[in-house]
Amino acid sequence: MSEHDDHDLRDRFQRLRREDVAGVTSFHATLAAAAARRAASPRAPGIRVAAAAAFIAVLGVAVALAIRGRRGISIDLAAARWEAPSDFLLQVPGAELLRTVPELGRVTPPFHYLDPDWRTP
Amino acid sequence: MSPDALELELERLHAAAFGWALACCAGDRAAAEDALQASYLKILDQSARFDGRASFRTWLFGVVRRTAAEQWRRAALRRLLPLAVLEAAPDGRPDPAVALARAEATRRLEAALASLSRRQREVLHLVFYQDLSIAEAAAVAGISVGTARTHYERGKTALRRLLKEEPQ
Repeated sequence: MSEHDDHDLRDRFQRLRREDVAGVTSFHATLAAAAARRAASPRAPGIRVAAAAAFIAVLGVAVALAIRGRRGISIDLAAARWEAPSDFLLQVPGAELLRTVPELGRVTPPFHYLDPDWRTP
Repeated sequence: MSPDALELELERLHAAAFGWALACCAGDRAAAEDALQASYLKILDQSARFDGRASFRTWLFGVVRRTAAEQWRRAALRRLLPLAVLEAAPDGRPDPAVALARAEATRRLEAALASLSRRQREVLHLVFYQDLSIAEAAAVAGISVGTARTHYERGKTALRRLLKEEPQ
């Protein structure tokens, strides 16, 4: 079906067109309004300056944020200490044995340190 | 084209250009008149120049379409930024007095068109209202002929379906 076969739709659009055209402002009135608009346009540079200033301000903020983002946040790793929630499970009698280096001729820790009544929490 | 010849051509196409501006502004007459005035200013100031690659009507409709889109974007920006230096913007709705005076069939057509996508609405308007070919409609809308044909066929099917439905 081509664009020339749709008389039903074309008729509806042509009716719409006739109604639109009935209320159209004349060409000369439109041209006069356009000329008046051009004469009243000294306001436009003010808007352009305001828009340019706003754009520069936004650009400045964006650049500042980008620079700050590149620097990143410094973290003192020496001061940082992380403890797992399950660390208490490692706090058992004799845990020192795991953290110290055994030496010949010396028993560390002394066996009396161990508490036979100790229970896990 | 000399300024006098340009003015004559604009006068000849004025009613059609107004109809197209109205379609680009979703039936808002004040916005359509603004878009048309701004388009004429662009043309007469030669910030938009006719290079003869398309017909004058196709080129004029392209200018009107771009100008209406610029105005729509500006109006949307005004609604977002209530700056005192910018005047009140039209809200894009059809004039209620004009809508009342419309025939029932026309109102149904407008309501059905409002349900279509912008591209479908544009292509159907250009073909059925402005009597342009699909190739010319494609040039005005800035899309390929194949895409325009797809919008034309789908738009027609959707429009027929919407017009057949009983009014609410």
